[in-house]
Amino acid sequence: MAIQTFTAAQVLTAAQMNALQANDYNQTVSTKTASYTLVAADKGTRVVMNSASATTITVNTSLFSAGDTLILQNISTGVCTVTAGTATVSSAGPLAIPQNGSGILYFTSAGVSIYYPSAVTTTSSALTLISATTVGTTVSSVAVSSAFSATYDNYKVVVIGGIMSDNTNLKLQLGATTTGYYAFVARGTVAGAADFTGDNNASSFARIGAGKTDGYYADINIGDPFATKQTKVESTYIPTNTGSSMGKVTGFINNTTSYTAFTIIPDGGTMTGGAIYVYGYAKS
Amino acid sequence: MTYKIQIDDLVRDATGDEAAIIEAGHAEAEARAEAEAAKLAARQAVLDKLGLTANEAAALLG
Repeated sequence: MAIQTFTAAQVLTAAQMNALQANDYNQTVSTKTASYTLVAADKGTRVVMNSASATTITVNTSLFSAGDTLILQNISTGVCTVTAGTATVSSAGPLAIPQNGSGILYFTSAGVSIYYPSAVTTTSSALTLISATTVGTTVSSVAVSSAFSATYDNYKVVVIGGIMSDNTNLKLQLGATTTGYYAFVARGTVAGAADFTGDNNASSFARIGAGKTDGYYADINIGDPFATKQTKVESTYIPTNTGSSMGKVTGFINNTTSYTAFTIIPDGGTMTGGAIYVYGYAKS
Repeated sequence: MTYKIQIDDLVRDATGDEAAIIEAGHAEAEARAEAEAAKLAARQAVLDKLGLTANEAAALLG
């Protein structure tokens, strides 16, 4: 039963009282099979959408008052979207109500409402943040443990922010391995002068990133670090000096060690601030 | 010289052995930079002898 307006001297019947009480314990429901525009009588009730096609619930002004509340629900496969008509509808979450989703529409004034979704369609991300390590002050190396596991095969490591005491490259070591790093480095200057170099059985990937006194950066993809296979690495290093070469690093470690940790090491000087983010690439 | 190393959120002073490894790494980086500078200088000397810029030489090599 929708809300009633009683007048002076009117007789309140048992049926009316029971109906009003019923709304507290078994909310009044109106089921819609097509897009619907809310009306004043929907106040305090539950509007249930039941359509296999996409629908909307339109919210207009001057029908509700501050404090009025409705529940919006969707029981079918067609996504229902709460839509601002002449009233505003704000939300911290999505306005789309998936099947078996619902939410509360709450009015703060006649023309302003807030939608609080209680169930939303979850989406899986291709990248999952595994760890974020804040870099300390004037450190000569930063090790990140428990970075790799069987959960992911491929990882992205982003080293960014902070400052360095020197203009220098960043090195990458996996676990405790200090030999067997092989990489090809294709780089060039902004003047277009190309240069090639490499790591040939080196003690680290020597040019995995770069930095200077206004920050540092490395964007590293690491394949199969946890598997008992050769670990593959690809990275971009960008020394932000107009005369410096910047380029791409592709390489591998010539062993089949399973790694869980890595270390970022400045070629010289120290790092302060910024962070090292480790992400895993979803397998499905 | 005292070095600081970080393991996850823990920052501490490097031990003597760790400091030696850091210094060896710095020396290795300096040697690598010097070798690369020497390589570039040698290349530039050849280009100068030929009277070519790096881009012209690259174009010649395809």
